[in-house]
Amino acid sequence: MPDPLVIDNRKDSLFQVDREVFTSQEVFERERELLFGPSWLYVGHESELPERNDFRTRDVGGRSIIFNRDRRGEVRVLLNTCLHRGASVCRHPAGKAKIFTCFYHGWAYRNSGELVNVPSAEDYAASPADVYGGLHTPRIESYRGFWFVNFSGDAPDLRSWLGTATYLLDLAVDQSEDGIEVLTGTHNYELHANWKLLVENSVDGYHAKSVHHTYFEMMMELGQTPPMLGDADTNGVPPAGLGTEFDNGHATLIYPGNGLPLANENVVRNLAELREKAVQRCGESYATAVFDLARNSIFFPNFVLIDLNFGMILRTIMPVAPDRTEVTSWHIAPRGLDGESLQYRIDNALTFWGPAGLATPDDVEALEQAQRGFTARNEVRWSDISKGLGKARPAANDELQMRAWWRQWNALMTGERLPREVDEFVPFDTRTPQGA
Amino acid sequence: MTAATPNAATVTRSEVEDFLFLESALLDEWRLEEWVELFTLDCTYEAPATDAPASDPGQTWSLIHDRRTMLEQRVIRLKKPEAHAEFPHSQTSRIVGNVRILDRGPDAVSVSASFLVSRMKAGKFDQYAGHYYYALVPGADGFKIRRKKAVLAHDRLAPQGKISFVL
Ligand code: FES
Ligand SMILES: [Fe+2]
Repeated sequence: MPDPLVIDNRKDSLFQVDREVFTSQEVFERERELLFGPSWLYVGHESELPERNDFRTRDVGGRSIIFNRDRRGEVRVLLNTCLHRGASVCRHPAGKAKIFTCFYHGWAYRNSGELVNVPSAEDYAASPADVYGGLHTPRIESYRGFWFVNFSGDAPDLRSWLGTATYLLDLAVDQSEDGIEVLTGTHNYELHANWKLLVENSVDGYHAKSVHHTYFEMMMELGQTPPMLGDADTNGVPPAGLGTEFDNGHATLIYPGNGLPLANENVVRNLAELREKAVQRCGESYATAVFDLARNSIFFPNFVLIDLNFGMILRTIMPVAPDRTEVTSWHIAPRGLDGESLQYRIDNALTFWGPAGLATPDDVEALEQAQRGFTARNEVRWSDISKGLGKARPAANDELQMRAWWRQWNALMTGERLPREVDEFVPFDTRTPQGA
Repeated sequence: MTAATPNAATVTRSEVEDFLFLESALLDEWRLEEWVELFTLDCTYEAPATDAPASDPGQTWSLIHDRRTMLEQRVIRLKKPEAHAEFPHSQTSRIVGNVRILDRGPDAVSVSASFLVSRMKAGKFDQYAGHYYYALVPGADGFKIRRKKAVLAHDRLAPQGKISFVL
């Protein structure tokens, strides 16, 4: 691997990343160890497992896992690999099961992991259950219904890892006193580009105008003016928005909410009611942050929350190969919405996001074109992520968010710790008691 | 369709096929303004998520749920050079077959068909397979589409990754 991979030159306000990190097999494998090993990785939301014995299989951090609720109601993550010779013990994407039976030789496991049946067990001198115990169960922890897994033994607890970035999750959950739920239906698609390009893109305010020009034109045609054209601050957030960073590589860009494209009276009333209840519970300043500001956030390394308050999306970004990435996205909504409001939120989010949306395919195109461009990395070595470096308060279309993420990437990959740029910005009165 | 105004009770499969083949041709030739005129004003154009093919795109996180306004906007957008994922336009070739009339309502027929869309763009060749479900309203100047639902027979969108054109 070349050294350095990341150049953080504060003197000249220049931040550069070696393009080798987007193409190299060696970097890809080290990421699996050094990044996806010790980081807390998002697995799923509790609402996806409403009942005992519900399960969902996923690939998280390159590992095949079963995310389930066992017969006692406890949420678990089991590594989906048989202790005998490695086959998957569960091959369904979702369902209900008390027992997972490996189809290869028939070893069977309880949904809490214990190995409970081995065909012809009498042929073994030592009982496999005594030797091997049960399916590997990595460490898991949750924050307000969001479950994360950690594949290394000595990581800090989830709360410390998230630090103050927890407030980004709070603002999404606190839309309703009943919390949020993940809706049926998953976007699951691939792109032919390095996973880190989508991480950057997910918190990149700079590309919005150029890549999503047609989307903004459409919104204007339908009577929506983009909020950046306003002039008043919202809880300290200027019309141009702000970038902010947190410890451990989490970052967000905050900007004034987009108004309510195509909303009818019922939807407007429904949202006003939710907002009013939030004011009662948490105060005006907090409710303003929840309902009048929008955020694109990255939780290091690969979990994204797009929180447009009236349309919220979770996204995980998983590397498959140096130039292939699997994206999964879910829609979350406050529990108990009426059908019309729910439909509005879904449609509203769908017009932009997803592999068949009116904007996301253009992002994918940009990332695939970048990947193509990296073939010239011997001649053109560096990618530039300097925009706004040196500003006391970078705007949403600066690149602080990405630099914060890259510094954490660099720390885990090389051991070199680079200092952060700005203080965390919290767009509400933190003395207000919150739902947490 | 010609002379007598057809009604849902007398529509034949070959009339439906002719119409679906015309629709295919308009899409493959990127004649999208003409294509969108095939739809009624109260139409929907839908595609459920690949992991929930039987669910209602109106209440779930689907791939596509357009009503007339958004369908028109989709078409307007796709004709602009700044629709980066589709400029220059990809070349598509679609086969629509196994056409069946499933049901005849008072003013519309429900129809199912299979599709296979091949797409070539910038050296990349992708295929999309699945089933169409239509509600077609027969009228004096042919059918109008009240509902078009494209259900992909994929368990995830790979390797294609994006549905940037009209399915
Ligand atoms: S590999 Fe699972 S029983 Fe043999
Ligand atoms: Fe984008």
